[in-house]
Amino acid sequence: MKLIVGISDMKIGTKPDDELVTYSLGSCIGVAIWDPVAKVGALLHYMLPDSSIDKDKAEQKPYMFADTGVPRMFKEIYKYGALKERLKVYIVGGAQVMDDSGMFNIGKRNQMIIRKMFWKNNVAVTKEDVGGAVNRTITLKIGSGNVRLKVSGQGEVEL
Amino acid sequence: MSRVAEILNIANHIPPFPKVAMQVMRMLDDPRVQAKDLAAVIQYDSAITANILKTCNAAYFGLPRKVSSLDEALVLVGQNILKDIIIASSSARFYQGEVGNGYQLEQGELWRHSVATAIMAKSISPHFRGVDPGAAFTTGLLHDIGKRFLSSFVASDFQRIMDRTYMDGVPFIAAEREILGMDHAELGSLILQKWEFSEEMIRAVQRHHDPLALDMEPLIALVAMANTLVISAGVGVGAGGLTGAMQGEGLKRFGISGADLERYLANLVLEMERAEEMMALSN
Repeated sequence: MKLIVGISDMKIGTKPDDELVTYSLGSCIGVAIWDPVAKVGALLHYMLPDSSIDKDKAEQKPYMFADTGVPRMFKEIYKYGALKERLKVYIVGGAQVMDDSGMFNIGKRNQMIIRKMFWKNNVAVTKEDVGGAVNRTITLKIGSGNVRLKVSGQGEVEL
Repeated sequence: MSRVAEILNIANHIPPFPKVAMQVMRMLDDPRVQAKDLAAVIQYDSAITANILKTCNAAYFGLPRKVSSLDEALVLVGQNILKDIIIASSSARFYQGEVGNGYQLEQGELWRHSVATAIMAKSISPHFRGVDPGAAFTTGLLHDIGKRFLSSFVASDFQRIMDRTYMDGVPFIAAEREILGMDHAELGSLILQKWEFSEEMIRAVQRHHDPLALDMEPLIALVAMANTLVISAGVGVGAGGLTGAMQGEGLKRFGISGADLERYLANLVLEMERAEEMMALSN
């Protein structure tokens, strides 16, 4: 079944024919994780790096922010038998418009926080496609662990 | 006929903005006008009447109870909100069908982007002294109307525009102008002119991708900021991606910080959920 992950959302796929997809990432980041043994995967679409700017929102929508959304996604997938050591991890998105002043550097801040979190927690990134000015769509197939990336202007490729 | 002439010809034949909407807008500027006077005008446009009822009952406007008649709606809804509803329901008809195809926007996406920008424009408007929140909403809603009419031209030269953008690093809008002789912001401003919107709104549509927009007059800066944030959130972005520059420095004079931008983005997600009925108006 095709499961669509909206902005500030996360979904878990447990069936071989499940396909997780999140459209149009912009400055947001999509994080896909997949366990090849438990055959379970998750896809998160977070919009902002740090929940300290709005604690109420973080409570209503924990997947809006990297600092609240990423740990929660990992906790959720462990419930389905996934193990951290086995996880394949993909990050895509984090684009931004050109701005010397850095006011609109949300994409970059979104990239920086996840690198920091993964480094602290010993999570290795399998593959990534981040930055630039392109719009991205990512799909994770639960049966095969196949991750496909669609980039504005470049068509769809396997990540 | 040259391509620019062809595009201008289409702009000249665009149907007028609904008369009832323009008339109501003028009436709303007159403090003596009462709800019954408005109802007398609005009732002749059945689409607007139906949409007023539909949107009034939507969570976004937060009315205390369900309304079932136009008179009741006009009494309950404040004038500012009424303006937004009328503009949204009058504009929706221009965004029906596969209007964003040339930009690789799926059906409904151009409207979704427009409503999101309108919502964002209105919520940031308190920072921009002298800008009427209603004008912010309307300009946000119509800033990309040029795309609606340029879409088929973009489609016919799509590969050339994309190559200029992603191989040569020219912003998508600049590639539009270079290859088609006209870009969607310029075309949009001509359409607003034809529809007799204010000069201020026309300029804001024309400049919404200008890298120095945030240093310009308040409504221009406001619409450029709202659009940049909505694009960053990935709402209705399409083939152009996030190409182009926007110098953020100018926001400081409006007292807007990077953290403010993030807070507005956080709000947008929830406000869009509450605006589902408005999003559905173009269906």
